[in-house]
Amino acid sequence: MFKKFDEKESVSTILQLKSSIQKGIRSKLLDLYPNLDGYLDAILPKKDAMRIVKCHDHIEIIINSGGDLLFFRHREGAWIPTLKLLHKYPFFLPMEQVDKGAIRFVLSGANIMCPGLTSPGAEMIEAPKGTIVAVMAEGKQHALAIGVTALSTNDISKINKGVGIENIHYLNDGLWQMKPVK
Amino acid sequence: MTEVSRLTIGPKPGINYPVDVLYCGNCSMPIEYCEYYPEYEKCKQWLERNLPSEFEKIKICDDNTEGAGDEEKKRQKRGGKGMMKTKKKEDGPKQICVSRAPRGKKKSVTVVTGMSSFGIDLKVAAKFFGTKFACGSSVTGDDEIVIQGDVKDDLFDVIPEKWPEIDEDLIEDLGDQKR
Ligand SMILES: [Zn+2]
Repeated sequence: MFKKFDEKESVSTILQLKSSIQKGIRSKLLDLYPNLDGYLDAILPKKDAMRIVKCHDHIEIIINSGGDLLFFRHREGAWIPTLKLLHKYPFFLPMEQVDKGAIRFVLSGANIMCPGLTSPGAEMIEAPKGTIVAVMAEGKQHALAIGVTALSTNDISKINKGVGIENIHYLNDGLWQMKPVK
Repeated sequence: MTEVSRLTIGPKPGINYPVDVLYCGNCSMPIEYCEYYPEYEKCKQWLERNLPSEFEKIKICDDNTEGAGDEEKKRQKRGGKGMMKTKKKEDGPKQICVSRAPRGKKKSVTVVTGMSSFGIDLKVAAKFFGTKFACGSSVTGDDEIVIQGDVKDDLFDVIPEKWPEIDEDLIEDLGDQKR
């Protein structure tokens, strides 16, 4: 999604949000990610002015008053954390681990193929199709991408062919390189 | 009892959040991923300078080249080239460019670009120039500062004095700009 994203060209406007809308977003985030309960106030302090950066291609990004990029979404879809945020709070997405050999492909923006998730170096946590997941890697501590399961993890094991997780956001893509918004 | 996978969702006991991740100053990724960056050598140089203890760890891993052959084989089996691209922007050498541009018939302004490649806050720099030369000075674009007045020649002394990391040789004189 952010392969060709460029902060200079892609940002169109920055919106200040009404407090009622901020409240709505907060409760939506907690619905989506119940494990954030108790941590959301640290990520998005209630008194803080939450803003939304509107970008081309129907992408919106939530930022805090310091300009840190926190969550993004595409065409009114679910809010997805940025990798920078996920690295700080790595526990609120289910994690799927690819084997070592897949790392370079994920880092070039490729989708995650089923065999990379079922080989001996890989490991999966059960998740239905369409789940937002953190992509972890064999022997590495931190997530290298965020994706959406294209198949349930059961089907990934069973079918073991084709795309298992769609790569949405990865280290060094356009969103990763985007600097805090002043 | 089965071991709980590290992949299990939920905060882990004994860890304080937010987690502080060490990012590489060259490729910007967590340092454990530097080895996948096309300019790994530059990452290593950065590590050696900024995080010597981490650099030592990597050196040990690199010496232990077993398994590299394995991975090579695995790689060939998969399609595509799977090569990361280097970043476009920060690749270029750090440099500051100064030029003079006409303003009206008689006056001219000085345009300074490239300050942010040294990690300098443009607003602070603009304010500094304004105070130093007692004239208007503002951030006019992505990595561009315009100083109201012809102070180009003075900048070669003023910039290295204020920011010692910028050598005079790193400032390029682009001469006069036509509008
Ligand atoms: Zn690096």
